[in-house]
Amino acid sequence: MSRKVDETAVVAGADSTTERSITVTVNGERFERTVSVRKSLVDFVREDLRLTGSHVGCEHGVCGACTVLVDDEPVRACLMLAVQANGKVLMTVEGIAGEDDELHPVQQAFWENHGLQCGFCTPGILLTTYDFLQEKKNPTSGEIREALSGNVCRCTGYQNIVRSVQAADQEWER
Amino acid sequence: MGVKMVGARIKRVEDPRLLRGEGAFVDDIDLPGVLHMAVLRSPHAHARVLSVDVGPARELRGVVDAFSAADLGPDPAAIPVLFPVETSRDTPQYALARDAVRYVGEGVAVVVAESRHVAEDALELIEVEYEVLDAVVDSAAAIEPGAPVLHAAAPDNVGARLVYSVGDVDSAFEKADRVVKDRLDMQRYTGIPLETRGVAATRDAVTGELTIWASNQWPHILRGIVAGILGMPERSVRVITPDVGGGFGTKAEVYPEDVLVPLAASRLDRPVKWIEDRNEHFLTLVHSREQTHDLEFAFDADRRITGLRATLITDIGAYQRTLAVINSSLAGTSIAGVYDIPNVHVEVICAATNKSPASPYRGAGAPESAFARERLMDIAARELDIDRAELRRRNLIKPEQMPYDTGMASVEAAVVLDSGDFPAALDEALKMVDYDGFAEKQRTARADGRLIGLGICVYHQLAGTGPFEGASVRVDPSGQVTVNSGAAPQGQGTATMLAQIVADELQVDHESIKVVFGDTGRIGFGVGTFASRNAVMSGTSVLMAATKVREKAMELAAHLLEANVNDLELEEGHAQVKGSPQSRLSLTEIAAAAAPGGSRPPGMEPDLESVQYFENHAAPYSFGVHIAEVEVDRNTGLVEISRYVVVNDAGVIINPMVAEGQIAGGVAQGLGGALMEELVYDAQGQPQSASFMDYILPGSLDVPEIEVGHLHSPSPLNPLGVKGMGEGGAIGGHSAVANAVADAIEHLGVRVTKTPLKPSVVWELIQSAGQQGP
Ligand code: FES
Ligand code: FES
Repeated sequence: MSRKVDETAVVAGADSTTERSITVTVNGERFERTVSVRKSLVDFVREDLRLTGSHVGCEHGVCGACTVLVDDEPVRACLMLAVQANGKVLMTVEGIAGEDDELHPVQQAFWENHGLQCGFCTPGILLTTYDFLQEKKNPTSGEIREALSGNVCRCTGYQNIVRSVQAADQEWER
Repeated sequence: MGVKMVGARIKRVEDPRLLRGEGAFVDDIDLPGVLHMAVLRSPHAHARVLSVDVGPARELRGVVDAFSAADLGPDPAAIPVLFPVETSRDTPQYALARDAVRYVGEGVAVVVAESRHVAEDALELIEVEYEVLDAVVDSAAAIEPGAPVLHAAAPDNVGARLVYSVGDVDSAFEKADRVVKDRLDMQRYTGIPLETRGVAATRDAVTGELTIWASNQWPHILRGIVAGILGMPERSVRVITPDVGGGFGTKAEVYPEDVLVPLAASRLDRPVKWIEDRNEHFLTLVHSREQTHDLEFAFDADRRITGLRATLITDIGAYQRTLAVINSSLAGTSIAGVYDIPNVHVEVICAATNKSPASPYRGAGAPESAFARERLMDIAARELDIDRAELRRRNLIKPEQMPYDTGMASVEAAVVLDSGDFPAALDEALKMVDYDGFAEKQRTARADGRLIGLGICVYHQLAGTGPFEGASVRVDPSGQVTVNSGAAPQGQGTATMLAQIVADELQVDHESIKVVFGDTGRIGFGVGTFASRNAVMSGTSVLMAATKVREKAMELAAHLLEANVNDLELEEGHAQVKGSPQSRLSLTEIAAAAAPGGSRPPGMEPDLESVQYFENHAAPYSFGVHIAEVEVDRNTGLVEISRYVVVNDAGVIINPMVAEGQIAGGVAQGLGGALMEELVYDAQGQPQSASFMDYILPGSLDVPEIEVGHLHSPSPLNPLGVKGMGEGGAIGGHSAVANAVADAIEHLGVRVTKTPLKPSVVWELIQSAGQQGP
């Protein structure tokens, strides 16, 4: 009883129903890639671009570990398909630190305030913070907690994350 | 001596990589040509497996391999139980289900394919014939006669039965002035680290060595067990635990996939990996905590507890794997807490049910037993009309009674509390929270129609379990210091702590020290990171190795400087004659001289390295007091934590910043258990909480600021005086919050005896109180 089932998604070569060619700019660098249409943006960034700093915690849009910025807006990259990012400008955790390789003030603040333990949630939280502080100066701790409420951290109990964001707010000239 | 690093609040050496997104978690490791494994899981809680046909899956393009238990030989090895007890029944799990499945999610077959997408597509082509059997999901029902039986070896569904007895409990109850008792239930919940599990493996074509990368807490133990099951010598298996995204005990286990991935890689001679998705995680991660406590205290007229009697039923799930009865044993032997109770009798029944196997999660039995004890303490205070803080104080073990031998021994070791001043910790916490002012505050709030409450939990935790840990410290001829440890941390800041210890010993900059762990290829023996053992076990073994290196460096320096070793001192990485820094040698110069062919005194072995193992036969106990203040919304049942105070005593603290981070993280998990987290199964054994939509984790708006006070009673059991403390938050958090909610609503005439206190539960309790409110 042998059934030969065709699995098209892995077929090499372009098939426009299962694969598309996309162009994205990530952390200032332009990439052109052919991707399976069913590939999520986070898998694309991790596997095709080898930018493994963006993490996958749930694949159902709750934990925020996969957060990246797409055209300056935080996005759950597990809920977006890679093909939907065609033509867009992305920023991932790898793009936060400056050219000179110095830690960005947001990263430095998390370091100094013990804002991470295992570090798995950290990339998503850094990008959420980066976006939040760009729009907000002198936030209250309540506002910070509100802003972070879509990112799960299982390790820290959040209070050092809140402190880190407060410190980043002070240190980041923007 | 220069600056002292142990005790310093310094930032972590592990962080810059993680902050840049350069962490290397299992799924980040680039293995060219890697294949992806997916597991076909049972949709039934209990069924006979009549046949499995993986043939159709093999036909799918992109599939490289597919197999079921039938392909693994007639007599495969099971995952072993590490600490069996006399009454343990043999109810083991195999890498794949053989003739029956016993929980939803149990692996039945696997597919290995060019991509995970294809592997999952192929799972749907596997044909399995099941004969569905009745399932049992409630632990008390499971041990009733006539319940569906999971294993022929345990026809009453009792996996093991443990009894702990001290003194004469019956006579204590006969003579009691008053007896207070209740049944207290803790729900099933667990660690749920943000990084799911993951395993990758590849076999080296030249050496034949199998390398396994696993998101795991005990690489050496994993190596031994996997090598045994695969029938390979240990030296041919290397296990690496790279960055691990949280574990909390749930990754101190050997899971079926830990065997299946290396097996697939060996069958195919290609790298294979499996990354658990969140749904699989909820179905198959070790669950924990689910335990029923029938607990009673006998009181004399002075309200001293003269006897404690308890029957516990631990829901151990479908199989007994590595740590089988540990939770039950630690719960049974910790239930008296740090109270001086002369007569204790505890029986623990380990009941098998058709649910994911249970194993320790942060606290390991202590959160459960603390909840039962501390809840009953409050119930007793109310019934006996005595202040709950006073009732606790009256019964606490006094400092002059230390060390205090409880007379009990868990499967790990005798339970002897080594040091501490429990009444001082209680008083300190009460002072911090202004306990004396709370009654008035509560009266005022109630007069305004608000429900506020305060809850206390006094707890202790096993803090440095053995039997050993290994470490090596080496100064190489270029002067670089490298530490190898048997630890396998998951975010605890261990690299920083170990560097702090070595920095003090060798007087070098802690940031220059490279700390490596989680690699069986680097050190012969190791145990791992669980049970709050890092500071005590890894810390002490690293200290021992660093001390040996320093002694050897000084001896060699004395030889090179033609001085007496007693006249030398070590300063800023240099050995010098005391008071004359002009004649000095750097560690680099000494290490170069130590290299083979260098200039050493006769009889001295080459190299500046030491490998040491710290073996301990008694573990220290840390302890603390947590006090929570909450407000309950009487219209919604929602609980808000308004204040949270912790007094913690973990002896000498290596890095207070890291220690406080552990407390805050633990409290968050404890309050999650008190208020929201629950792994729910329906009556047929179908999991109802298999995503973050149905299993609610505490978020940034749920966890309050936590105020921490430290006490320091150094442990006499290790040279650093340290005690582990990573689990205390989760132990104290659950019960302090539950007690606070109870305090907010019990005056209405209700009783809180179980968790989680979800809004719907609290609301119903308030409703059930009827109109007799304040
Ligand atoms: S992985 Fe995208 S939100 Fe969790
Ligand atoms: S640091 Fe581990 S999940 Fe946030």
